[in-house]
Amino acid sequence: MSGLQVISYLSIAVFPVLLIAKMVRIARMPVHLRWDLYPIPHEKGKSAYGGSYFEEVDWWTKPRVRSLISELREMAKEIVFIHSVYKHNRPLWVFSFPFHIGMYCLIGLMALLVIGAIMGAAGIVVSADSANGFAVLVQHLTRILGAAGWILSVVGVLGLLFSRLLNRELRVATILSDYVNLLALLAVFATGLVSWITVDPSYAIMRGFVRSLITFQPVTGLPAATATHLWLMAGLLFYFPFTHMTHMVGKYFTYHKVRWEDEPNIRGTRIEQAVQAALGYKITWSAPHIKTGSTWADAAMTTGEVKNHE
Amino acid sequence: MSKRRTTLKDFSHKPGQLVELDRRQFLPLPPPYDKWDTEPEIKPLSEERQRQLECDLDGISAFKFPRPQSEEEKRRLVEQFLAGLKKLFERENNWTFQQALFLTMEYCARCQTCATACPIYAESGKMDIYRPTFRSDIVRRLYKKYVKAGGKFFAVVSGNDIDVTWTMVARLMELSYRCTLCRRCAQSCPIGVDNGLVTHELRKIFSQEMGVAVEALHTKGSVLQLEAGSSTGMTPAAFLDNVEFMEDEVKERTGLSFKWPMDKAGADILLIHNAGEYLAWPENPEAFAIILEAAGISYTLSSDIVAYDGVNYGVWYDDVQLAKVALKHMETARKLGVKKVVIGECGHAHKALTVIADRVLAGDLNIPRESSMTLLRDIITSGRIKVDPSRNDDITTTLHDPCNLVRLMGVVEPQREVLRAVSNHFREMTPHGVDNYCCGGGSGFAITQDLNFPDFREIVSGRAKLRQILNVFQDIIGPEHKKYVCAPCSNCKGAIRDMFAAYGLFERCNILYGGLVELVVNAMPEIERPFLEWDWH
Repeated sequence: MSGLQVISYLSIAVFPVLLIAKMVRIARMPVHLRWDLYPIPHEKGKSAYGGSYFEEVDWWTKPRVRSLISELREMAKEIVFIHSVYKHNRPLWVFSFPFHIGMYCLIGLMALLVIGAIMGAAGIVVSADSANGFAVLVQHLTRILGAAGWILSVVGVLGLLFSRLLNRELRVATILSDYVNLLALLAVFATGLVSWITVDPSYAIMRGFVRSLITFQPVTGLPAATATHLWLMAGLLFYFPFTHMTHMVGKYFTYHKVRWEDEPNIRGTRIEQAVQAALGYKITWSAPHIKTGSTWADAAMTTGEVKNHE
Repeated sequence: MSKRRTTLKDFSHKPGQLVELDRRQFLPLPPPYDKWDTEPEIKPLSEERQRQLECDLDGISAFKFPRPQSEEEKRRLVEQFLAGLKKLFERENNWTFQQALFLTMEYCARCQTCATACPIYAESGKMDIYRPTFRSDIVRRLYKKYVKAGGKFFAVVSGNDIDVTWTMVARLMELSYRCTLCRRCAQSCPIGVDNGLVTHELRKIFSQEMGVAVEALHTKGSVLQLEAGSSTGMTPAAFLDNVEFMEDEVKERTGLSFKWPMDKAGADILLIHNAGEYLAWPENPEAFAIILEAAGISYTLSSDIVAYDGVNYGVWYDDVQLAKVALKHMETARKLGVKKVVIGECGHAHKALTVIADRVLAGDLNIPRESSMTLLRDIITSGRIKVDPSRNDDITTTLHDPCNLVRLMGVVEPQREVLRAVSNHFREMTPHGVDNYCCGGGSGFAITQDLNFPDFREIVSGRAKLRQILNVFQDIIGPEHKKYVCAPCSNCKGAIRDMFAAYGLFERCNILYGGLVELVVNAMPEIERPFLEWDWH
């Protein structure tokens, strides 16, 4: 087994573990005070103008009318079209949009390579002139998604990089890791593009490598362009979870658990139990108006200055 | 001295005032303020004040924080700051915002989309220090270096060379009061990162750990409210005197004679106004009393300490103070046995008690709270009182959307329905609703009247709102037309009042500001004399 295969196995294993660990860490944080931000799309009939159930007299006596479709529509607009960047920062969207679409295509490409590799391992030839109709479809889709993915992602990441370099407002706010992240992405996408154009137009080599991973068979003779791409890809998978580029994870929480989280605290509900638990936490804030060492509930009942640290 | 460009190194180390506010750099205003020399000036602090107080950010002082006298004192303050920073990320100390803050620290892509949404940054002529990410990137770097495990090692690897100096902490202290917490930045963020929250959490370090806060918010704000009964200093006895005076004034202005319900156990509603209304704009609680009396609503006011003042300044700087005030409000509601608490025309009181404090209240203190906007809308649309919009025909009205009520709570339409019912000449500002601009007085700015801070509020943080007001009335900007900015929020009214005075808006353009209920009473046919006293503003 080659070093490339070992590092590929490790990166494929580590990437989801780190990502899930981060998600679990965030999800396990305690209930927080409400910090709504409108519009909230699940407010049926009101989300178009940013209204909420607080617009109703005696809102707590009325059934909450939520629209899952509206929320899903908003999510789709955001995920597919990168709508908030389109709305608020059009010059950046020109590159952010192809970059993200390119990434989605490449995720699709990976899935198709896995499917193709499994078919290959099962003895089905995946090619444009295969006798198996599904294999022909897989081959065509692989080439389409691959071409779109490599081109759009390279164009997108180059555009984002040059935007940071040339736009003064962006440049002054950019830190070293932003450039490192973009260059890391560029390295992976550009070598993928070169590998595809120069040595692997039909993806037979990439598919063969994936098949070697699935079947635990050694692989030899990878062209330098493909091998370089695969090494860089494995490196990116190790690095990625430590960066803000995992914002697809963060975004779930920032939207669904903070700005759209408008669940009222109704007696006897899960929220009230969580609040009561949190009010029992002990505080160590040191200011004189806070009773250090008390619970939040006690601190809230104590007015005036207290003598801490005696 | 640099006017706009600031590096992080300068922020941490450069001695003296970092930037200079020059009104010629700001975005120009529409007529009649389209020449920069028609604008008020930002007055520098006296040399003595500059020697005494920390004002090395932009020459403005909100905190009035005395300069430390020794290196030892600076070191101690820096240590306190770092201790507070760490506590922000601890479950027990900051369950209130830990998750939201962690997300904001971890996921900002520095795309600067938020910068375009920030009125202070844009109106200042894009001064770096006011960029929403400028403040939060400093905090983010400090978090990564001093809070995260292995932070110091990774700081070296990643080129995060930030060092905490007293100069930096003192500037951050002031910088935490150059954002009104309007959260337009968060609304525009594609990832949902919230730079406004960073401002909020920074203020908590200073207040909850270091024991320092802007005097108007803390000592003369929430502390005074908890001790005397109101942040205005009004005691229960003074409050009752004021109500008696207002009852007489209602009789004099309208001929209506009735007692305001006070401490009435078993009423349906406990109505809580911002106590500033009783002192600065008594016509607002008077109008409420007239409407509720005419509609036959079962309600009461309270003369209990804290419960006659709906403000809760804790929402801007201190979670513990927030909880203390909210509990006092709700203890009175429980004692009176009301079915619900209704909040008068005060945006932050709305958000504090209805949204934020929702997760501070448990058990029998968790009594429902709702907006007066919905109650007014229902009173009018149900026909419980009659209104004739033609009585307001000589006035062109526009509506200011208080951020707390609209973007941060989703109460958008009820006040519009009321306004449309009582005004035939209502026009919207651009943008409005959840996309509105802050009045410039958000997050405590409106009540911070010390030194030269009001200049910042009137000329920089309120500038976008002033532009909107001038634009919406531009075709009738002359003094021959009566124009009314309806601002259903005490805090916003305070900021607008001071901005109007600084620019002479009433005198030059005949624009008046006021609340919503005053327009409603002005439209009630049974009130003979106009309720709005235009010339006595």
